Amino acid sequence: MNKILLYLIMLPKGLWKRLGADVTQLKAILSVKLKMDDRKPLTMGRPQNNAKKKKSNYASTLTFIIGLFVGIMYIFPLIMFESEPYMGLFSFFTMLTVMLTFGLISDFSNVLIDTRDKLIIFPKPVNDKTIFLSRALHIFIYFFRSVFPMSVIPWIMWGVLHGWKGALWFPVPMLLLTFICLFLVMGCYMLLLRLSKPEKFKDIISYFQIVFSIILFTTFYFMPRLSESNIFEQFDIRTVEWIKYTPTYWLAACWYWVEPSAAKLQGTGWLSILAIFTPFIMLWVTVKFFAPSFIRKISAIDGVEVEAPKKNAKKVKSSKLYLTLGSVFNRTAASKAGFSLAWLQTARSRSFKLKVYPGFAYVFVYFFYIFLSGNVPFNEVLERMADSKSHLLLLYMTSFVLLNTVTNINITEQYKASWIYYSSPMEKPGYVMGGAFKAMWVKYYLPFVIVVSAFVLYVWGIGAVIDIILATTNVTVYVLVLMYFGNRHLPFSMPEQMKTKAGMAIIKVIAAMLFMGCMGAAHYFLYFMWLKILLTLLSVAMLWTLWDSYINTSWKQLKMAEDAA
Amino acid sequence: MQPIISITNLCKQYGEKTVLNNINLEVYPGQVIGYIGPNGAGKSTTVKVLTGVIQDYTGQVQVAGKDLRENLMDIKRMIGYVPELAELYDLLTPREYLHFTGTLYGMEANLIEERMVKMLDSFGLSDNIDQRMDSFSKGMRQKVLLASGLLHNPSIVILDEPLSGLDANAVILVKELLQRLKQEGKTIFYCSHMMDVVEKVSDTIVLIDKGTILANGTFDQLRGDSGQSLEQIFSKLTMADNLIERAGSLASAMTNNNTLEQL
Repeated sequence: MNKILLYLIMLPKGLWKRLGADVTQLKAILSVKLKMDDRKPLTMGRPQNNAKKKKSNYASTLTFIIGLFVGIMYIFPLIMFESEPYMGLFSFFTMLTVMLTFGLISDFSNVLIDTRDKLIIFPKPVNDKTIFLSRALHIFIYFFRSVFPMSVIPWIMWGVLHGWKGALWFPVPMLLLTFICLFLVMGCYMLLLRLSKPEKFKDIISYFQIVFSIILFTTFYFMPRLSESNIFEQFDIRTVEWIKYTPTYWLAACWYWVEPSAAKLQGTGWLSILAIFTPFIMLWVTVKFFAPSFIRKISAIDGVEVEAPKKNAKKVKSSKLYLTLGSVFNRTAASKAGFSLAWLQTARSRSFKLKVYPGFAYVFVYFFYIFLSGNVPFNEVLERMADSKSHLLLLYMTSFVLLNTVTNINITEQYKASWIYYSSPMEKPGYVMGGAFKAMWVKYYLPFVIVVSAFVLYVWGIGAVIDIILATTNVTVYVLVLMYFGNRHLPFSMPEQMKTKAGMAIIKVIAAMLFMGCMGAAHYFLYFMWLKILLTLLSVAMLWTLWDSYINTSWKQLKMAEDAA
Repeated sequence: MQPIISITNLCKQYGEKTVLNNINLEVYPGQVIGYIGPNGAGKSTTVKVLTGVIQDYTGQVQVAGKDLRENLMDIKRMIGYVPELAELYDLLTPREYLHFTGTLYGMEANLIEERMVKMLDSFGLSDNIDQRMDSFSKGMRQKVLLASGLLHNPSIVILDEPLSGLDANAVILVKELLQRLKQEGKTIFYCSHMMDVVEKVSDTIVLIDKGTILANGTFDQLRGDSGQSLEQIFSKLTMADNLIERAGSLASAMTNNNTLEQL
C-alpha cells in the first residue's frame, strides 16, 4: 500500500520540482519515513518479533472496516437533501472538513514540527522546500489512508442516488477536499511558526490545538442542533446565500459539471473552478512563503539555551502538593515514585495535555448536545433534565476522562528512559503502575467528578448522592479492568505509533464507551435504594480485589502484556 | 577472597544470533574491571544481564555469593548503573528525577535530598537543580545520570561509557571519583571504548569480542613483553590489525564523483 501511494505521490514530479524541491531527495526521505513507520520500535527488554507482522495486517484491515463505519455517519446529509444535491454535498463536505481538520490537528501535528531529524537530515544538503514537502506529503499519505475508507460508503450512496455519473464524479471533490484540509491546517501552523518565537512555538501549538479542538467539537455538535427544527423544515438554500463564499460550497459546486440545472443558487457554477484552484493556491502559498524559513525555525524550536538558574535553587521545597498527596495515597516507595512521576510528567508533557485536556470539555459538550434544543430556554432544559435520570449519563460519561488519562500515561517519546524501572530493585512493577493510576485518579478524575457532582446535586438534589458514589466506583472498576486486560504497562514506557494508533485506538474507545453505556443503562433500571447500596458495596469490593491484583502485577505478567501489545 | 561477581558459562541468544558465548568471569571486591570490546561484542548485553534488565540467559551469574535469578531484587539494590546513551525523563528537574530514582531504590526522601544536593553541587549543577532537563546539554544529563547511579551508595558500580559527552574537567572529576570509589572498596565494572582511560583506571582488563572473552588480566599481563599500548593490543586481539589497509581502501572508495548529475 505504501509503495503504491509513494508511486502516486511522486507522479506530479514536475510540480514538486517547480515548487523548489529536489525530487530524488524527496522520494528518498518519504520512502525512509514510511519504512520507519511500519517498523515497531522495540521497548525495553523486548527482542524483535517477526510474528507481529500478521497482527499488524489484521490491525490495518480492522482500521479500514472502522473507517467504513465512520463513513456511514456522514451519509445522512446526502440522503436528507436528496432532492437538493448542492445542499447535501455542502453539508457533507462541511461535516467532513470539520472532522478531518480536527483529526489532522490532533494526530499529525507532531509530524510537521518533528525535530528529531535535526541531526540526521538537516545537516545534509537538503533545502527547506524539500524537507517541508516531505513532511506535508508524509502527512498526506497517512491522511489519505484514513480518509479513503471513510469516503467509500458516501461514495456508494452518492452513486446509488445519482447514478453512474455521480459515482464517477465523487472522487474528484473528495481528493480536492483532502488537499484543502491538509493545507489549511499546515498553512495555519506555518503562519504561527513565522509569527511566534521558536522556543514558545510548541507551547503555543499545544494550546492552540486544545482550544481549536474544543471549538471545532463544540461547533460540530451544537450548530446543527441549535438551528435544527425550524430552519431545516422549511429550508431553502437561497436563504443562506452566504455559504457560497465557503470552500466547501465550492466543492459542492463541482456538481454543476454533472447536473447544472439542480443549482438553486443561480450563477454559482463557476465556483467549482475555485474548488480546483484553491488547493494549488494554498500549496503554492505555503511552500513559497512559509517553507523557506522552515529548517531555521524548526531547528530553533529545540535549540533552547539553558535558562538562567533560579536564585533560591538550593532551597528545598518540601511542601509540594504532589508529595503530600503521594504520601497520603500510597504506602510503598515504588507506588509513591509512580505517583510523583505521573503527576509531574503529565503537568509538563505537551502531547499528554493535547490528548487529554480537550476530553474534559467533550464530556460536557456531548451531554448538553443531547439535551439542548434550539428553541427551548436553558431553565426549561434543566427542569426537563431533573425529571429524567439523565444525570447517570453524565456520571458515566466521566469515564472518558479517566480512561483518556490513564491510557495516555503509558505513552511517551522518551519511552527508552524506562530502563530505570528494569534496573532498579522493584519487586513488582504493579506498585509503580498503581501509583501512576492513583495520580491520574486524584489529579484529573477526582476534581472532574467533584465538578460534575456539584452540577448533579444542584439539578437532581441530594438523592443523587448514591448514584454519584455507585457510578464513580463503577467507572473506576471498569477503567481498571480495561487497564488490567488491555493496557498493562509501566508509566511512560511505551512508544507512540503513528500507523497503528489511529485504528486500534478508535476501536478500543468505541468498544469501551459502548460497554460503559451498558453499565449506565443497567444503573438506570435500579429503582430501589437498597439495591443501589448493595451494588455500591459490591462494586467497592470488586474494586478492592481488582486493585490488589493490579498492583501485584509481576514482571512476568508485564512482559506478557507488552508482548501482546 | 570470594568474588563479588561470578559469571559461569553465560550465554545469550537473540533468535539465531549468539550474543554471549560461554562467558566466564570473576570480579573481586574493590576491583576496577575495564570491560572492553568492539561494537556489537556483547559488552552492553553482559551489563544488561548483570543489572537484571535481561533475564532470559543461560548459565549462572552470582553476585556476592547469591544467584542473580533468585535474588534479583537484593542484587539490584547493590548495583548502581549508568547506561550508555541513557535517556531520562527530561521533563523533570534533576531534583525530581533523582527523588524518583532514589525512591525506586527505597531511599528516604531526606537522605535522597541530602546526597543529591551534595552530588549535584560536586558536579557543578547546584544552580540547575530545579530546572527542567529538556534544556540540558548532553554532559549535564550525563552528570545527572551518574548521580542517579551512585545515589543509593551501591557496592557495585556499572558504568557504560560514563564519560560520553562530558567536558575535560568533568572527565578528570569522574576519573578521580572512580579512584575514590575504589578506595572505598566499591567494585567498578567499567565499559568503554576510551582505551587510555581504561588503561589508567582498571585493575583488570577484560576484552570481549563476538560474545567471547579473548583476554582477561592486568594491563601488564596483557602487554607482556610487547610494550604495546592497550589500543594496539585491542586491535591485535580483535583481528583488526589490518586497519591501515582498511583506512586506505576507505579513502579510495570516495574517489568517484558524488552526485547522480556528476556521473
